[in-house]
Amino acid sequence: MLIVIPELDEEQVENTIGRFRTIIERTGGEAGEVNHWGRRKLAYEIDHRTDGFYAVMEFTAGDRTLTELKRLLRVSDDVLRHMVVKLPPSYAHRPLPEPTEAMA
Amino acid sequence: MGRKRNGPPRGGRPTKSKPCMFCKENGAYVDYKDYNLLRRFISDRGKVRARRVTGLCPQHQREAASAIKRAREMALLPYVVGR
Repeated sequence: MLIVIPELDEEQVENTIGRFRTIIERTGGEAGEVNHWGRRKLAYEIDHRTDGFYAVMEFTAGDRTLTELKRLLRVSDDVLRHMVVKLPPSYAHRPLPEPTEAMA
Repeated sequence: MGRKRNGPPRGGRPTKSKPCMFCKENGAYVDYKDYNLLRRFISDRGKVRARRVTGLCPQHQREAASAIKRAREMALLPYVVGR
C-alpha cells in the first residue's frame, strides 16, 4: 500500500504507480492488479497534507525486488507513505471495504 | 434501560463467553486495510480496547492490535483523537 501526494493529478498518480510496477517486474516479481482507493482524507496530517491518493497492490517478490522497491519508495518525492506487508498463506482475495470520506 | 453487558454478573452463574468474532469465520486474517472493522476495537480516543471489551481470543486480539498499528501508520486510523 502506498499514499501518493495529493498535488498530482490522476494521470501522474497512475504513472507513479506504474513506475513501481515495472520495478517489481524487472526484478523478477509478479505484480497484480492495482486497487485504487482514490483521494482520501488522512487520519492525521503528514507533512502538512490532509489527504492523499491511496493505492493497494499485491505482488510476488523476486530476489532483489524488496530491497530495490523499498529503496525507491523511500527516495521518491511523490510517495507520502508506503508499507509492504507479507500476506499470510491463508489470505483469500476479499473485496476491500468501500473507501468512505467520513473521518473522525 | 436493560443494557446488555458481556461481563460476568455479580454473583450467580458466570456467563458463557461468546466466541471471538474472527474465530467464527475460519482462517480469518485481521486486515489492516479494513479500518471500519478495526474502528470497533479502538476507543473514541483512538486507544486499543482491552480484550475484556472486544471479546477477542488472545491470538486475534494480538493480530487486531498489530492491524490497528499498521492502519495508524498508513493514516487510516488516528494515533490520537481530539488533541
